[in-house]
Amino acid sequence: MKIVVLMKRVPDLVEDLEVDGSGKALATEHLKLTVNEFDDHALEEGLLLKETSGGELTVVALDAADVDKMLFTALAKGADRVLKITGAANVEGNTGLAAVFEEVLSAQEHDLILTGVQAADDRDGQLGPIVAALLDVPCVEVVTQVEVGEPGEGMVTVHKEYSGGVVAELEISLPAVLGIQAARQSPRYAPVSKVRQIQQSATIETLAGAGESSGAAAGGGSGFSVVEMTAPETGAGAQMLAGVDELMAVLEAKGVV
Amino acid sequence: MLTTAERIVFLILVVVCGGLAFRGFANIVRIVRRGRKAEPREGLLGRFLQAFLDVALQRPVFKTRPLVSVFHAFIFFGFSFYLLVNVNDLLEAYVSGWSMIGRGGVAGVFNLLSDLLSVLVLTGMVALLVRRFLAKPKSLEFNASVKLHPRVVAGGVPRDSLIVGVFILLHVGARWVGTALHLAKEGHGDPWLPTASLLAAGFSGLGEAALETGTHLCWWVAMGLIVLFLPYFPRSKHLHLMVAPVNLALEKRTPRGLLEAPPDAANPGAKELTDLSWPLLLDSYACIMCNRCQDACPAHATGTPLSPAALEINKRYYANEHAASLASGDNTGGAGLLDFAISEDAVWSCTSCYACVRICPVGNAPMFDLIEMRRGLVFDGAAPDEVAEVLRHLDEKGNSFGESARKRPRWAKKLDFKIPDARKQPVEYLWFVGDFASYDPQCQEISRTVARILNSAGIDFGILYETERSAGNDIRRVGEEGLFESLAEQNAAALAECEFEKIFTTDPHTFNALKNEYGPFVDGGPFDVVHYSTLLLDLFTQGRLEAGTQLKARGTYHDPCFLGRYNGGFEAPRGVIRACGLELVEMPRSRENSFCCGAGGGRIWMKDHPDVVERPSENRIREALELGAVDYFVVACPKDLTMYRDAVKSTGSEGQIAVKDIADLVAEAIGLSAAEVN
Amino acid sequence: MANDVLVVAEHLKGELGEITFELLGIGKTLAAALGGQCVVALIGGNDGMVTALGAAERVVRVDGEGLSDFDPDSHGDALLAVYEAVDPRVVLVGYTSMGMDLASNLATRAGVPHAASCIALVEAGENIHATAQLYGGKLNVTSDLGGGRCVASVLAGSGAVEAGKAEGAPATESVAAPAGRGRVRFKRLIEPEAGDVDITAKEVLVAIGRGIGSKDDIEVAEELAEELDGAVAGSRPLIDSGWLPKTRQVGKSGLKVSPKLYLALGVSGAPEHIEGMKSSATIVAVNTDKQAPIFNYAHYGLVEDLFDVCEELTEAIQEKKG
Repeated sequence: MKIVVLMKRVPDLVEDLEVDGSGKALATEHLKLTVNEFDDHALEEGLLLKETSGGELTVVALDAADVDKMLFTALAKGADRVLKITGAANVEGNTGLAAVFEEVLSAQEHDLILTGVQAADDRDGQLGPIVAALLDVPCVEVVTQVEVGEPGEGMVTVHKEYSGGVVAELEISLPAVLGIQAARQSPRYAPVSKVRQIQQSATIETLAGAGESSGAAAGGGSGFSVVEMTAPETGAGAQMLAGVDELMAVLEAKGVV
Repeated sequence: MLTTAERIVFLILVVVCGGLAFRGFANIVRIVRRGRKAEPREGLLGRFLQAFLDVALQRPVFKTRPLVSVFHAFIFFGFSFYLLVNVNDLLEAYVSGWSMIGRGGVAGVFNLLSDLLSVLVLTGMVALLVRRFLAKPKSLEFNASVKLHPRVVAGGVPRDSLIVGVFILLHVGARWVGTALHLAKEGHGDPWLPTASLLAAGFSGLGEAALETGTHLCWWVAMGLIVLFLPYFPRSKHLHLMVAPVNLALEKRTPRGLLEAPPDAANPGAKELTDLSWPLLLDSYACIMCNRCQDACPAHATGTPLSPAALEINKRYYANEHAASLASGDNTGGAGLLDFAISEDAVWSCTSCYACVRICPVGNAPMFDLIEMRRGLVFDGAAPDEVAEVLRHLDEKGNSFGESARKRPRWAKKLDFKIPDARKQPVEYLWFVGDFASYDPQCQEISRTVARILNSAGIDFGILYETERSAGNDIRRVGEEGLFESLAEQNAAALAECEFEKIFTTDPHTFNALKNEYGPFVDGGPFDVVHYSTLLLDLFTQGRLEAGTQLKARGTYHDPCFLGRYNGGFEAPRGVIRACGLELVEMPRSRENSFCCGAGGGRIWMKDHPDVVERPSENRIREALELGAVDYFVVACPKDLTMYRDAVKSTGSEGQIAVKDIADLVAEAIGLSAAEVN
Repeated sequence: MANDVLVVAEHLKGELGEITFELLGIGKTLAAALGGQCVVALIGGNDGMVTALGAAERVVRVDGEGLSDFDPDSHGDALLAVYEAVDPRVVLVGYTSMGMDLASNLATRAGVPHAASCIALVEAGENIHATAQLYGGKLNVTSDLGGGRCVASVLAGSGAVEAGKAEGAPATESVAAPAGRGRVRFKRLIEPEAGDVDITAKEVLVAIGRGIGSKDDIEVAEELAEELDGAVAGSRPLIDSGWLPKTRQVGKSGLKVSPKLYLALGVSGAPEHIEGMKSSATIVAVNTDKQAPIFNYAHYGLVEDLFDVCEELTEAIQEKKG
């Protein structure tokens, strides 16, 4: 089975996010990118599937800050191939990104495409369903468990989560896209020395992306503009307390204690 | 003395048993040589002289258990002398007319020593057998969840002890009785053989023939038994009498706080026995199975499945069981260490406190085995989830809190002065703050207190601001060597850009890494690093700090592992405490014997093992409370501050004892008001 | 293009989800502003649902084999068919498990913009402006969806359920179900394992989030919960890392709770979590990060270490109880 994991880097939410002078975009001075945590789960689930059912796992990502390290890390964890798409830095949103991925995927064998269920910067929808729609393959979001069917059946059985812990079991014909919510186990850690070794011996395959034109290829989704980006007023609704004594007083007033 | 027939039988016995024993010893040598390489042991002559001197003085044994050690010394001195006695007895058997008995001078002294030491050996051996088999001390038992080799479960260790004990009793006892029979035969006592003479009186009723038969019998029990015992010797714990001195001579002599890098960076860590370096393989043969390391181990004391003793014992039993295949090297693909030596949860229970290594009377270092196994697990992506998450944080953000690197210096914002930026201006002292002192809210307050103290004393100091990364001490000890190297490289590069004379830090873990482990990463050798306890004491001594107020309180002090046991920093913090006027009361476990708080070796990031009955920190607070009327539990380590403040709460001891950092004491003593401090 | 607003109804186990009524409330306001109707797309529903959708002006139904249970593929095809039939100005979808399958799919196939994770939609001149909560709730981003058709997926809790709840008999029409492609097959629903505490039934919840330092901290939270006669709940990362059972998860993929007191300790306040607890009577947030979005939803906030607060509060309560 050919497994492809689509990964992207997103702003690290541990940092204070600042809006730039235009008021419409993130200030880039201190912006730090990190792997979308759901994509990390998608990779983990992909690796687990590869380990149990065999196959080849390829990771595809757009060129971005520290993307090489992310891709070498994926190799160290057990990915077979990593592809970096260059020249498409200006694609807009997931719509643009999906168009680039579609182009790459069309030229790659793929049975199962995994990606994170969502990302912190999903302004124009989630990557998975857009890629699936462009490829005209089915997609299921919020997946927590994937089981590969018998060889030759060309299908997977997944668990899709609803609120309240209710889960739907769905059977999906391949090729398909799955938006992974959580892998069966926490994403594994790739030791630095292994990543460094891989860096010496393996290579990242580079593909030139279609660049800015990609957005248009995706259809109407691209290009809707940001009017304003603001931090919600901190503590807008909250009355800030000075200590546990005051908190205790609140709880007493509310009759909880 | 022996008949010709007896002489021939004895010689045949020596050849057969000696041959079997030789095979056993040869296997041990071959197995140890299968281990991975270790740092070269240089100055062998000096090492061996030192080791023999230490053993002769029984120094390593007397580190703990004084009474047992006295009995051990009886046996040790007796047995050592018996080497001469045995030579003499062989000569008596094969050289006609050779006898020491009835002679004075040198022979008289020899007789007197052999006579008295025989009694001491017998006394010591009986006492140790009574201890083991009648008194049954708890220290010889393992926690229920400790992994044990099936042969250990089946009672292998006590059986071995019994065999060795009985062998010693028979060997020495028979020689002693034989001497008495000899004296009885001659019909008079010998002033050089006082105890044998006393015993001889009891044999006066026996006839000439009976006495003759008796002396032969005793010779055979004493000397024949040794030869018969030879093939068992390399398999028994008695082997320690040969391997322990060698092991002590070959032990790691680099600083305690310097871990050896993995010998094979491409394939680090130990999965199978022979993945361990050769000194760690030798350890298991030196092991006397006394469980002293287990007694000192905070993980075992608090109920976890980790016993450093069981680890060595299991290694030994496995190696004995598979001696032939291990020796020939065709054991590859054999059982993994986690299958027979120790369970995976036990590997992660270690706090890397070094107590087991420090206490071992035969120079074993079980802690290093654990770190090797951790290296293997981390390399295979099998670190516990909590550890994996922390490692990811450290890799991405340079701190274990998963916080923004930019927020590292934020604690300093609340100060009413700005700490100089060591990246931009030369400073006398570069303060390497460390993760906990930078990010933990409680520790941040101590950091600010330290800053104010130094500022008030007019010290020229600066920090690295957001460029600092975790020093990596505990990263290395959870087995992530590559990440440690990466952090060390980043810090070393940042420090290379700064102008400073000395580094100081409040964190003993950081102190250890910078002092002992950064050498390979820094041009021009290791840094000049001091712990803030040393710096503060110096300031008192130089009169730059003055304790205006003497604190009227009693306090006890906890030695942090990485300051005390690892780096010998025992006096400076005590000096600071005394300078503040505090009455210092020592806990039973202090200095080298200090009991770990449980946070080291990455434990602070992991959940408690479900078997934990009491956390090490809680055990320690209880120890402090038992001193009675102690106001302060004084610490000199950020991790200790959080661990013990938590433990005071979780043991419900608030109001009875307060955890204070030495900086708290200094601030109060020099009259920095609370408002000024925070 | 009409000026109608198409609301996509969501149902599970024969019941409409609350998000549907929230969307209806928002949709009606928007439709009024646009001068159009509020139309509901009901795929695989039943007649009872139509009655419950009385707040809508029209209900467009698609029924057919395999539509009664949700599967992203056939429901996606059906929604596209409704979209083409109704030709609305705005399509509102819940930013929920089902909605995530539908919204991006529809927008991409229809070639219209899609604003995800929205909390508000307004008409601004000719254009629709959508405000979305992005970056884990740290930033609100308002986008101009232009003057043409668009899709918006809306976070649960963005509107009032009551605003969309009215019994009635809206006009109904049908759209033929597109031929099934059979690429996704619904097998069954799995209910969560019972046995653990039912956090939806508790009056007090002590919720812990990623800010918890170690598993030990959970113990102190449990002690506090016990003193308060409540239970411990958690946000997704804690459940994913196995520190709490799934039955304790509050939020989008967990449970929706509205206790008398929701004490959020070290919870940053990602939108997915907020939607599960924002209707709690009193929300108290404790976090060392004073920028944490949770403070925007809490009634009371305390910037302190959660371990200390837990310990001190537990003590204070014990003292009070004597």
